[in-house]
Amino acid sequence: MSEFSVWFEQTFKQCYCEKGNLVDQDRFSEIVQLVLDNEADEESRALFEEKIRTCVQSSGRFEKEKGLRESIQQKLTEFKKDIPSDLAQSIKNSINL
Amino acid sequence: MSEIEEEAVRQNYSEQEKTSIFDTEFMIHVDSMYNFAYRLTFDEDDAKDLVQDTYLKAFRFINSFERGTNAKAWLFRILKNSFINEFRKKSKQPAKVDYNEVESYYNSDDAGENITTDLRVETVQHMIGDEITGALNALPVDFRTVIILSDLEGFTYEEMSKILDIPIGTVRSRLHRARNMLREKLISYAKEMGYNN
Repeated sequence: MSEFSVWFEQTFKQCYCEKGNLVDQDRFSEIVQLVLDNEADEESRALFEEKIRTCVQSSGRFEKEKGLRESIQQKLTEFKKDIPSDLAQSIKNSINL
Repeated sequence: MSEIEEEAVRQNYSEQEKTSIFDTEFMIHVDSMYNFAYRLTFDEDDAKDLVQDTYLKAFRFINSFERGTNAKAWLFRILKNSFINEFRKKSKQPAKVDYNEVESYYNSDDAGENITTDLRVETVQHMIGDEITGALNALPVDFRTVIILSDLEGFTYEEMSKILDIPIGTVRSRLHRARNMLREKLISYAKEMGYNN
């Protein structure tokens, strides 16, 4: 088991109480970000997906996190500054290309 | 410039190869570079200067770049270092934020834990891009940067770690804090604007 998987498993466990209820939303949110960023390894992802499949609370929270993140990302991407028309050429001129 | 040359296997490109690399591997990122620079400086002229300066350095140290490797990450790293080392000193950059202080606060137990539970997807969807961008721009630059690199430019944590010269664990925690801070700003903004949150 990789160092990351160990950390992931421990951190993920800490999101839940002994009865298996989701009690630490902030920690869970951190875990979700890792999964959505594709930074969780296969083992960690499997652990996460298993819980999402079997826990309504976790599944709902995951969907909300995912929706929020996609909406924010989409809005941020919409705002793109147009590049000055002469920038590429002036870069090339400055190095005599 | 040691940060550009360090760890690099020095190449020995011909003039023709240099031109080819510059055109085919560097210039295709000019749009992303300009947007990154603008989001750091908030000024069109400053962003332009920063990008030009970055490309000049990239060409000057092109032998430190290995053809076919991650040119975008390499360029972003140069731009980020230029911004920190030279640009920020002379810029009109407003608040000088004590980054360590902010990060340690957001890593502490004092930081709000329910930030992310108070923002609804519908609220965000009602907002326009300018409002979200305004909230992003209000974040301290180090936190703003990780969101730009991850959510707008699609860099992996490992790439971000190299661009920012910080461990992957710090990327992970900083990004998490940054996203929470952004959501917190959006919640305040939504309340201010009377969005039904």
